[in-house]
Amino acid sequence: MITFSRTMLVGAEFLDETTVRFHGILEDHIYAMEIEMDVRIPDGVVTAIEGEMKRYTNPVCPKAVDVLQEAVGVSLREEGWASRIYREIGRKGCQHFAEILIECGRCLDQARMAHDLTPIIATNPAASTTELAKRWLREHPEAQGSCMARSEEGNIGAN
Amino acid sequence: MTLDFTRNKVVEVEPLDDRGLSVLWRLKDSLLEAEIRMKVRVPDLEIVEAEARVSRYPYEHCAAVSELVKRIVGVRVSQGLRKIVRGLIGGASGCSELTEGVLECCNAVILHYTVPQIRIGERLAEQELLEGRRALLESNPRMAGSCIAFAPDSPLMKELGL
Repeated sequence: MITFSRTMLVGAEFLDETTVRFHGILEDHIYAMEIEMDVRIPDGVVTAIEGEMKRYTNPVCPKAVDVLQEAVGVSLREEGWASRIYREIGRKGCQHFAEILIECGRCLDQARMAHDLTPIIATNPAASTTELAKRWLREHPEAQGSCMARSEEGNIGAN
Repeated sequence: MTLDFTRNKVVEVEPLDDRGLSVLWRLKDSLLEAEIRMKVRVPDLEIVEAEARVSRYPYEHCAAVSELVKRIVGVRVSQGLRKIVRGLIGGASGCSELTEGVLECCNAVILHYTVPQIRIGERLAEQELLEGRRALLESNPRMAGSCIAFAPDSPLMKELGL
């Protein structure tokens, strides 16, 4: 029997060409919470955030909702942004809020890629996602280098 | 407005008969579909088996995770885990999704042990619960300052006289 399970759900909604809104939901055997976070696309800065704690372990936990505002102004492009979120939102607020926030933040480039590829795939369903992704990555240096697939030796350099 | 990208991540822990835990992690998003299966030995919480596969991916190199994940066999779910896992399978020559997935599996193992403690707490009277929290903090001092509930100025810590 499964004794612990956690689901994290992220949705990305492009409000316009400069703002993406992330909807993040975390639900597990212990906790349930939700965030909505706006990110400015050109520099990855969090411009607004709201959250709701729906199920928790301690009457103090909902006070962590206010701490979410510490994320406003943080850029998802800056070195060590996730550690900063763990420190500022996790330790001073709630670790699980930090986890769903970071999950949303880590989806920034994938969401942008999906946003750009969607109209291409819609008109040409047979187009190769791998080829399109490779081209997208070449055109977006800010998304390069975070793993072997996005490195110079990986897909960018491959033919 | 319609969504352009969705991601769904699930991690599940299931105790095995032979003194171990099975952990299954799945990621499905608009671009990627991946799975990690781990076996964790009890009581030392050493990862004794690890498999990963990526069935749908945007980058060709993503398929390499099935080899990469083998490096975490032998790692224990204990202090310093983040640094160890990131050193083994993360960074520019590793896979960030696999790294986070493994860490989420390990976090789920810890939370699997937390659920019964919370269930016991739910059945306690207020004073017993307070004593239970005090005992928890004494046995696990790293919890102090770990979140707003256990911050030095939190009402809970004041109530506990800590």
